[in-house]
Formats: sequence, C-alpha cells, structure tokens
Amino acid sequence: MKRRTTLAGIALGALMAVAPLGTAWAADPIRIGYAIARTGIFAAAAPSQENPYALWQEQVNAAGGMELPGGERRPVEFVSYDDQSNPANTVRIYERLITQDKVDLLAAPWGTPMHLALAPVLQRYKFPMVGNTAASVQLRKVAPGYIWFVTSAIPDSMGAEMAAMLKANGMKSVAVLANELPYAQEFRSFLLPALKEQGIEVLVDQSYPPDAKDMTSLLVEVKGKSPDAVLALTYPADAFLFTGQARELGLASPFVLSLIGPTIDAYRKAFGGAADGIVSSAHWSGQSDMWPRGKAFFDAYVAKFGEEPDALDSAVTWMSMEILQQAVAKAGLDHEKLREAIATGTFDTINGPVKFDGVQNAMTPTGFVQIQNGKIELVWPPAIKTADFKPKQGW
Amino acid sequence: MVDTLLSGQLLFAALVSGSLYALVALGLNLVYGTLRLLNIAHGDLVMIGAYVAFWLFTLLAVPPVVALVVAAVLCAVLGWAVYAGLFRRMLAKPALARRVEANSLILFYGISVILQNSAALAFTASPRAYRWLDTVITWGGVSMTLNRLLTLGVAAGLCLGVLAFLRFHLFGWGLRAVIQRREAAQVVGVNIERVQLATICAGFAVAGMAGVLVSMTEQITPFMGFPFTIVAFVVIIVGGLGNIGAGVLAGFALGLVETYGIALTSAGYRSILIYGIFVAVLMVRPEGLFTRAVRT
Repeated sequence: MKRRTTLAGIALGALMAVAPLGTAWAADPIRIGYAIARTGIFAAAAPSQENPYALWQEQVNAAGGMELPGGERRPVEFVSYDDQSNPANTVRIYERLITQDKVDLLAAPWGTPMHLALAPVLQRYKFPMVGNTAASVQLRKVAPGYIWFVTSAIPDSMGAEMAAMLKANGMKSVAVLANELPYAQEFRSFLLPALKEQGIEVLVDQSYPPDAKDMTSLLVEVKGKSPDAVLALTYPADAFLFTGQARELGLASPFVLSLIGPTIDAYRKAFGGAADGIVSSAHWSGQSDMWPRGKAFFDAYVAKFGEEPDALDSAVTWMSMEILQQAVAKAGLDHEKLREAIATGTFDTINGPVKFDGVQNAMTPTGFVQIQNGKIELVWPPAIKTADFKPKQGW
Repeated sequence: MVDTLLSGQLLFAALVSGSLYALVALGLNLVYGTLRLLNIAHGDLVMIGAYVAFWLFTLLAVPPVVALVVAAVLCAVLGWAVYAGLFRRMLAKPALARRVEANSLILFYGISVILQNSAALAFTASPRAYRWLDTVITWGGVSMTLNRLLTLGVAAGLCLGVLAFLRFHLFGWGLRAVIQRREAAQVVGVNIERVQLATICAGFAVAGMAGVLVSMTEQITPFMGFPFTIVAFVVIIVGGLGNIGAGVLAGFALGLVETYGIALTSAGYRSILIYGIFVAVLMVRPEGLFTRAVRT
C-alpha cells in the first residue's frame, strides 16, 4: 500500500511538472479504433492508409490533442487490429471495438468490401464513421446513416469524366485492357457507353486475369491497331507489368492510362522518367495551390515516411480524419450529435471543401492525374487542374 | 495474326516467363524429390530474394547480379536452419518420416506466415521497387528490356547448370538416386542426410535467386510470394513430381502456353488454359506430362 502511495506520488509529481507546460496530457486520451489489412491480399495497399493515421495522430497530439467543443483538448490514441484482408474479420473487430474496447471514435478499414460489410454494423450500434478507401457504385446503395464515403473516384462518374477528357484532348480511338477484378470491371462497364456517347472508337476491348504474368501478346495487338489512347484498367501489381512491357514494346499512343498503381511511390521509383505522361485515377495532388493544407500534408508525409503519399488512398484517408476532427470539435463525442455534424457540416480538407449528400461526398470533383517530371499533377477536370495534360512522349 | 504468332517478340516474352517458372519450380522440385517436403513457403523465399536485391541496391548501390550471390547464400542458410531445426529428426525416424509429407505442408505454412509477417514488420508492407538495367534494345525486330534479357539468361543458365550437375557429377547421381530409390541409394552408400541437406540448401538458394530476378521488374511486397508457390506447384505437378528435368521443361511449356494461348484466344482465358492443362494432366497422366520423355 505504501509502495503504491509512493508511486502515485511520483506520478502526481510528474504530472504537476508537465502541467505548467500547458499541455492537456493529464486528460484521458480519446480512443479511436480501427481494423486494417496488415496481412493477406490487401496488406501491400494498406500502408498508404495506415501511414496517414499515424501522421495524423502525431500532429494532433503535438498540437495538444483533439479539440472538443468548448476548446478542451485530449490526446488521441489508436486501438487497432489486423483484419487479415477478410471482411468477416472486419465486422467482428469493429463489434469488439464498439462493445468491448468501448472506443470513443472509429476510423475506417482498408478497402471497399470492408466498408460495405461494416455499414450495417455501424447502423446497428448507431456509431458514426467516416469512410475513406472505398470506391464503387455499390456504395451509392448503402442507406444513409452512420457511414460516409469521401472519395469521388466512383466508377460511373469516372467513366463519363474519362470519356470527356479523351474528347477534350482530341483522342478518337482507344484500346481498353481491363483487369478482371471488380473495380476495373465496374469502371469498364461505365467507360464503354461513355466512349460511345462521345463518339470515340474502341479498337480493342480485352480483359485479363489479375494473376497475369505476361501481357506481351495483348500489347502487340494494341500496338498493331495504333489507338490514340491506351486505357489500362490496372491494379497495382499489373500496373508494373503493363508499364514495363508497354515500354519494352514502345507503345506509341499519346494517351496512356493506368488506373490504379502509378500514384504509388514505388511505381515512379521503378520506372523513373519512363512513367512520365502516364495518366491515373486520383482527385488530389500535393502540387495544388488551391488547397494550402494539401502541401503541408504532402511535405509532412514525405518527411516522416521518406516517400510520397498515394494521391488517392493517402489523400482520402487524411480527408476522413480532417472531417472527423472538425466534426468532433463541433459536436463532441456523443454519437448522435456527431452523426448530425458529419451529415450536415461542410469541412475544410486537403482536397477543398467537403459536404455530404447522403453517403457521398457531393463537393469534390472526379479527377485524373498525370505524372509529369516525376510529380503527380491534376490534369482533369479543368476547374481543379494543376497542369495541362501533355501527350506522352515516348518511354 | 500469323505475323504476331511468328514474331520473335512473343517468343522472347514466353521464354522470359517460362524460364522464371522453370527456375522457381526447380527449387521446389528438388526439395520435394529428395525430402518429400511440400514447401508451401517456397514463394516466400522468392520474396526474401527480392528484398535482398532491393535493399542492397537501394542502400548500398550493389547491383542485382551481386545480390544473386547474397540471396543464394542467405536462403541456403535458411534452408540449413529449417532442415537442422525441424526436419532432420523427423526424417531420421521412420515412423515420423512416413507422415512428414503431410506434416511438412502445415509446418511450411507456418514458416510462410512467419516469413511474410517478419518481412512486413521489418520493412513495412509498402510496395518497393527500383530501377536497374532497364534500357530497351532492339535486336532482329525484337524489343528487349535488358533486365528481362538478363532474367532469361540467368534463369535458363541456372536450370541447365543444375540439370548438368545432376547428370554429370557424382553427387548429382547420388541425389537422383535418392529421388528415385531412397532405400536402394542408402544401401549402395549414398549419404542420405548429406544429400538432403545439400538439396534443401540448393532448393532454397535457387528460389532466392529467382527472387532477385523478379525484383528487377515487379513490385516487391512481403506478400508477393504466394503466386510463385502456386505456379511452382502447377509446374512440378504437370512435369512430374520429383522429376527435375521434366519440371524445367514444364516451366518453359507453361510460359509458351500462357503467351501463345493468350495470343490465340484472349487474355481472359489465361487461367482457364493453365489450370485446364493442370487438371487434364492430373486426370490423364497423374505421373506428369514429361516423366517418360525426359530422363534427368
């Protein structure tokens, strides 16, 4: 007993020593729970989301903690688990976070299937969560309530925007090569009618399996047809395959899209100048002057992790935490008040203002980026572009 | 269409992927042939080789050709550790040895999980990549990236080297004897334990070297290995389990089927073609497609 009193005395002394420095560390931390794919098929993609979480926590705590109504600040602490890339685990873990760990707030898991599996759980426990790394037209079918989706890279609007961008840049014919995985196929299903509507001819339309190890025969066919644009609806692994082999064959089309992959730091490390001119999917760029917070995030990320944030996943993750932070500052930790604040508020993010209409971000335009001199530049739509589209000049 | 099929471009692509398939499968086949171990962690050795190349190149500017040696040594040591720590005693006791094939599957599954997660902890799961020797040359109308040409040369060279060793070296004869008639080999004086140890080290080393080659053109992640495990199993089952030469042939055949199959049909048929052949071989010639045609 005496020993405990002594220890308590020391702790109290330590606290008193810290308190005059003006931090609120004596306050209970705000606990934020999430599950993410640290192992399994999605694990390689998840750091682009978990890194921003870590950076956000560091910055918030350095600023004295997360602000609550009335100006009180409390430090934030993450409670996190590995969902092993399995949506069933995601559901179990979030139930555990809510009922056993009794976390104050939730952050999103990685991936569309996880978000979709989680929506009913959040509804059941009436626990609001701002989603981030999920993109599918399926999201539009989720009943509005306790989950919101930050991204505007949704395949239906992307299909229309891609066709408009091709048209605006004078592209008259395309070859479409699509990975068989859902996001690429969903995009393809909206892209083809949109191309037709814009009067753009589809010379090649082929799908390939995700475990493809060689695309030479496909690319020889594409090269033979000389389309103005090659639209490769890739995932990261086959983005490497596509780019390496397109480069080997010297594909001469001035417009080359690789859907997912090029915004990953490693992609540019693998291809250097050969990646210049590749168009990809994202609606944010660290190069934009329109959103001053964006450059600060970009620089802090590079400083902490030694690589650039993914213009898609890392950006939407950061946005989701900005939204959560601003909503909590306004409404506090009460779930109903928080839900109301997220559903009705307008938030200042690295990608400009965000306001939700139902489950969706109604403000951020769907965009495309292009690698120019090793940098990710927004080239579409014109309203938010950081650079003009430049035809690809060789490899 | 015919032009495409006859072009050297497709042949080059097919040979590059075929030689890699053959090399990855070679290591697995050696280990299965002599030890009857189903190494589910085989692809993770490819991953380790890839990381060795990446870190040596990125931190110390050591070119991947040197990394080939480092990765081979490192993976060989790992093979020795796995053999000495896990399997030596199991293989020595007849009662345990009979079950070792089934048990090895589970043990190696565990090793695979440990390797993947250790890599994820040590290096994070973020994809990695580097650029080396990626100049494109054109020779006889065929465009070739130099690192892919090197992949073909090294992989094919290693496969042929191992085959030649098995055919012409006394130790290679012993190894083949262990694969074909284990007890008889023991009777005529082959040191089974020594053969087994050497083979597991060689099998692991070859996988590590394949990883170095892969790292030059693919993204590197802790979880990149599993598809290679699958490919290796398909190749050695199609070729004939434990038949080293047939496995190498089957690797090249798979590369040809993939590239030309896609050219003749469509890319969507890739998996159907490969697994279709796999299932057909299992049904019609379960001993392997090339078991009689090729003698190692």
